Amino acid sequence: MISEIKDTNFAEIIKSSSEPVVVDFWASWCGPCKMLAPVIDEISGEIGDKAKFFKLNVDENPVTSTQYKIASIPTVMVLKNGEVVDTLVGFRPKDAIKSVIEKHI
Amino acid sequence: MGDRYDIAIVGSGPAGLSAAINAKIRNKNIIIFGNKNLSSKVEKAPKVNNYLGFYEITGTELRDQFQKHINSMNIDITTERINTIYAMGEYFALAVNEKMYEAKAIILATGIEYTKPLKGEEEFLGRGVGYCATCDAPLYKGKVVTIIGYNREAEEEANYVSELAEKIFYVPMYKAEYNLKRGNIEILKDKPLEIQGDDRVRNVILKNETIATDGVFVLKDSVAPNQLVPGLLVENDHIKVDLNMSTNIKGCFAAGDCTGKPYQYMRAAGQGQVAALNAVSYLDSL
Ligand SMILES: Cc1cc2nc3c(=O)[nH]c(=O)nc-3n(C[C@H](O)[C@H](O)[C@H](O)COP(=O)(O)OP(=O)(O)OC[C@H]3O[C@@H](n4cnc5c(N)ncnc54)[C@H](O)[C@@H]3O)c2cc1C
Repeated sequence: MISEIKDTNFAEIIKSSSEPVVVDFWASWCGPCKMLAPVIDEISGEIGDKAKFFKLNVDENPVTSTQYKIASIPTVMVLKNGEVVDTLVGFRPKDAIKSVIEKHI
Repeated sequence: MGDRYDIAIVGSGPAGLSAAINAKIRNKNIIIFGNKNLSSKVEKAPKVNNYLGFYEITGTELRDQFQKHINSMNIDITTERINTIYAMGEYFALAVNEKMYEAKAIILATGIEYTKPLKGEEEFLGRGVGYCATCDAPLYKGKVVTIIGYNREAEEEANYVSELAEKIFYVPMYKAEYNLKRGNIEILKDKPLEIQGDDRVRNVILKNETIATDGVFVLKDSVAPNQLVPGLLVENDHIKVDLNMSTNIKGCFAAGDCTGKPYQYMRAAGQGQVAALNAVSYLDSL
């Protein structure tokens, strides 16, 4: 299971992590987000400790969603040292997401 | 959810039908999505002279032959339109509105008829441009949204989004009585030329005016292949395939007009066959 990241702890988590941080921006009303969730789960299982995985509910966390200009979900963001290094908008096949994350490991 | 098919074929033109009969001959459990009339491009042809073995045949006659052929093999067309196909890794999930079908392999044989994207549409995709208004509507709470609607279903989406957004501009690309409910929807009978912005969408330029907007939804009848299958590699408006009709996604094959020119029946049927046989080998390798 992937843990939730929130407005309140977002900045701290992305700054303090030495591994890449992967954030899945989602909401309960979004169909493609539901399809993506198990895919991200699988990738996180396969990548293990080499990256940290979180999901952020855009309805409950408007500050972060606005700050990162989320205009469409799902959006998967890869951050490294607090900076966004890759953004994937919309559903993507498992291999495609995995290879983008692996680039930053 | 039902059972998981071996192969799901999307499209009932010559490419899809040829894929279907060949996969059926190889005893695969298949489902084929398409239309009752099979393909309006087949039906409409006045005279066909380049389909080997059938010369001086009309499109309608050719369609009837196709229909007889699939009937004789007990292949039924599922007359539903696939909205999105998700490559889940082990399998594909094919969404028809809220309903889902599952298949281990897929063959895309959707033909080609989608309208060209507007200038700026692809550039701002995900940064204010979207294709599913109902999906992303809550992100536009209290904002200005422009909907470019190519069909009547777009009106329903506009009505829904208008409940959340502050203001809707509805740009119809067809002529009809528009069934738009709320006072905050303004109809603009104008021609969209370009979507503009900086780090995100700011304006839609129409022939007669420029409107400021936070989001633009482009709602079409037939979507481009990389919207139908997120992550699919498309080159010059066609699905990129190799000689085995494989796409960049494992287990996803494509055949017919959607893979490129020339747009011809025999090429489509031939590619459908190659796609089906390679899908069968793919299944055997799992
Ligand atoms: C007037 C006319 C005359 C022609 N004459 C000739 C000729 O003489 N000789 C020749 O070789 N070629 C001719 N062509 C070209 C020929 O029609 C095409 O090359 C051929 O039909 C391509 O077959 P296809 O299976 O790739 O796609 P299509 O025949 O376009 O079939 C695709 C089918 O998939 C369906 N579909 C698409 N998306 C979805 C979805 N998401 N879910 C479910 N179903 C979907 C479509 O509705 C359609 O029924 C002619 C075309 C036209 C328009």
